[in-house]
Amino acid sequence: MSNNTVGRKSSGLDKVFRIALYTVLIVVASFYLMPFVVMLITSLKDVEEIRTGTLLSLPASLHFDSWAKAWSSACTGSSCGGISPYFLNSFQIVIPAVMISTLLGAINGYVISLWKFRGSDLFFAALLVGCFIPFQVILLPMARTLGWLGIANTTTGLVFVHVVYGVAFTTLFFRNFYQSIPGELVKAARLDGAGFFTIFYRIILPVSTPIIVVTVIWQFTQIWNDFLFGVAFSGFDTQPVTVALNNLVNTSFGGKEYNVDMAAAIIAALPTLAVYVFAGKYFVRGLTAGAVKG
Amino acid sequence: MANLVIDNVKKSYGSTEILKGINISIKAGEFLILVGPSGCGKSTLMNSIAGLEDVTEGRILIADNDVTYTSPKDRDIAMVFQSYALYPNMTVEQNISFGLEMRKVPKAERDVEVQRVADMLQIDHLLNRKPAQLSGGQRQRVAMGRALARRPQLYLFDEPLSNLDAKLRVEMRTEIKKLHKKLGTTIVYVTHDQIEAMTLADRIAVMKDGEVQQLGSPQEIYDNPANLFVAGFMGSPAMNFIPTKVVEKDGVPMLELATSTTVALPFPKPESLKDYVGKTILLGLRPEMITEPQPHKEGQPFVTTTDVEVEVTEPMGADTMILTRVNDAEINCRSNPMYPAEAGSIIKMMFDTSKAVVFDQKSGRRLDL
Amino acid sequence: MNTEAANSGSGQTQSGRPARLSLADWMPKIVMAPTVIVTLVCIYGYMIWTAVLSFTNSRMLPSYNFVGFDQYERLFNNDRWIVALTNLGIFGGMFIAICLFLGVTLAIFLDQKIRAEGALRTIYLYPMAISFIVTGTAWKWLLNPTNGLEKMMIDLGFEDFRFNWLADPDMVIYCLVIAAVWQASGFVMALFLAGLRGVDGDLIKAAHLDGASTFTTYRRIILPSLKPVFFSALVILSHIAIKSFDLVAALTNGGPGYSSDLPANFMYAHTFTRSQVGLGSASAMVMLGCVLAILVPYLYSELRGERHE
Repeated sequence: MSNNTVGRKSSGLDKVFRIALYTVLIVVASFYLMPFVVMLITSLKDVEEIRTGTLLSLPASLHFDSWAKAWSSACTGSSCGGISPYFLNSFQIVIPAVMISTLLGAINGYVISLWKFRGSDLFFAALLVGCFIPFQVILLPMARTLGWLGIANTTTGLVFVHVVYGVAFTTLFFRNFYQSIPGELVKAARLDGAGFFTIFYRIILPVSTPIIVVTVIWQFTQIWNDFLFGVAFSGFDTQPVTVALNNLVNTSFGGKEYNVDMAAAIIAALPTLAVYVFAGKYFVRGLTAGAVKG
Repeated sequence: MANLVIDNVKKSYGSTEILKGINISIKAGEFLILVGPSGCGKSTLMNSIAGLEDVTEGRILIADNDVTYTSPKDRDIAMVFQSYALYPNMTVEQNISFGLEMRKVPKAERDVEVQRVADMLQIDHLLNRKPAQLSGGQRQRVAMGRALARRPQLYLFDEPLSNLDAKLRVEMRTEIKKLHKKLGTTIVYVTHDQIEAMTLADRIAVMKDGEVQQLGSPQEIYDNPANLFVAGFMGSPAMNFIPTKVVEKDGVPMLELATSTTVALPFPKPESLKDYVGKTILLGLRPEMITEPQPHKEGQPFVTTTDVEVEVTEPMGADTMILTRVNDAEINCRSNPMYPAEAGSIIKMMFDTSKAVVFDQKSGRRLDL
Repeated sequence: MNTEAANSGSGQTQSGRPARLSLADWMPKIVMAPTVIVTLVCIYGYMIWTAVLSFTNSRMLPSYNFVGFDQYERLFNNDRWIVALTNLGIFGGMFIAICLFLGVTLAIFLDQKIRAEGALRTIYLYPMAISFIVTGTAWKWLLNPTNGLEKMMIDLGFEDFRFNWLADPDMVIYCLVIAAVWQASGFVMALFLAGLRGVDGDLIKAAHLDGASTFTTYRRIILPSLKPVFFSALVILSHIAIKSFDLVAALTNGGPGYSSDLPANFMYAHTFTRSQVGLGSASAMVMLGCVLAILVPYLYSELRGERHE
């Protein structure tokens, strides 16, 4: 827009308009920032200060006790070892689940886009529905299945569940990306004597970096942030951090320690926030280009 | 080098027939061009030869071996694609040697082969670049290089020049012709560019609706089209089709031509028109057969000079196209640019019917074969 | 696929040509097989299973005594379910409307060659990276009546400021709306911003040459061309709304009473803690129905659109 105003003297009205624009943007930005700032401030106060001060009043001195407590000794439901074990559980679930679902998605997308066979498009449509079903419809049958497989209440079980219901999305991402690869590339490679896996490994994967980054980020945030599967399918000591956090916040032995709650919440949010801050550019690009454009 | 036999090849998807029994056989070292409008099945035929698509019926033989059910990699074929299909993550060198690597050729031999191809195509200086760093013409060369490196029995070219600009296209066309002369390779080449077809081919197969309409040398196809479709498809500007009444003069059928005056044109094979006297047929006359009066042709048997009214002129440099109207059909004439022809004026033009062809108006069937 | 499998088994296809049983030809199908099986079983199979259970009187464990539509009748006579469904209507409607409005507005504002666009975009979008549990925890603290926003305003001098929505059964649902909007609106903004950036620049120039003001250009030219983005955003937001479970769990835990329950929470509570598997399954099927009502037209238009390309 503004290139239209270049070379034109900006009038007073324009200036007022710009100031109003910036004001609105900054006010809105503070709305988005406020909860995080409040969490951070609260986590650094002691309980007394929380009681006497207000949300935005700064702590007189920095207290890191609440962070230590949240990490290693706060009570979450039955046990009192902080959220650190659950934080590690989450990693144990997320890392294999992300890797397996991304790999499967890549191969599926490769087949659906470049090795079409009768029924592959129909299957893709069926899979697409899988992206959108409310998981409530599969909760109970899945709980029974995990029991039969002997992986109920284990991190393995959660990895399995996340892979099963993540593959729809990862396939969608890769399929949309590979749609733009000309089929002639595969034909050329076949004539050159390369087979199914050679083509995938030597020609397709090397150009897939952008979509791999996007998929990994997406899956990482989805699985890390999951609560429903965590609460439905995990045992006491295999809970992911979101479930533990919720237990911690909703456990009330004696006085409510908001500073510990907040510290725990920030800890639980850190990995995804870090991913977002460091790789957010790809995340946005991928969400808008890959996920949404059918 | 190998011969190629396409024996009654049919291909259908469900109830749609894409190829309706194609029969083509080409000798080792021959350059065959497939032309036809889009959707005529030429790309499907190409993919079938390569083994990238299964055929429903029929056989394909390369070097007398039945390869109908052989997988693409075992057919010893190389293909140059319209989009070039260069592997984007590999350098030019890797692109060229990939096929050799897949066939487990030792590294040292591959290097020698890459060098040979690079020298031949003058892409030596590009070997370490990625496809994205190349211009369109360079990519085209690399794509050819990739095909040449394996020294296959058969080359397939799928509209290889259609993504190049006009000047480069002419250059590469010449280059391909030279390569074919030099290497004597068997080539099947798909194009929709008729100049490419005319200049490169030993033989041309004109396809339409999954059928070969005519298979012959470029000159045969140009001078002696099998039917209305082939006549209209080959040649630019296209052949003029003039609805013409067959009249009898002194017992000989002739073709009536009405401009400002009415004349009767003689036809080389009048006997083929015997059954059509009094009826209207389509006269096919190439633009270069309607010219300004040329003294050296004066008095030849099938030459008639008459008046026409100029509607539009299109100077093309070497020639000027004159648009006029005869028998209520718009026609193109090719004249010398020096010949005075102004829009609206009435000028004399010479109709040479020695190479004219006639068609049935309804079926498009050639009447004088 | 069934017919193809049959063909391979017989070793001959209809046309009588020799079958090719080379492994390479089957590779694409082989590698897809696990996903196909898992999808058929774990999505469609389970859907059917849950549907079957919804017609039984299953309580703590699945049983197969069919009782027809009894569970659905019970469901819609259940006050808690009606509250949950009403809540979904209020929550979903407001959440979607506000997110769309905020998203579009912010995207247009950010599209005005704003100096710190990158930083602002990051700030608007970061909540999307956070779990709903964390969001719920944070807002629970912000909105709590004793130490939260209310106290801050009073301390700032607004003596009569009252903000106890979290404890008010009639207002608690709006707390969910606030927190959910906070989390998801930045994402909608990103969608629209990407859409705006994709609008053909010549279109905008043409509109300006035609004398349209910036406002008119947006209203008449640019926004109408973003219809597909609207559609995508709508589907994604309704999807988030319908399966919202964790936000309720963390922010209100359904309370006070069950005044802030959403269908997802109802389903979970009845299936896993209240031993009402049949009823829970029926509620899950109703949720599925809601999603399909939105999804089917969307997918239909998407797939049809693709065919046109």
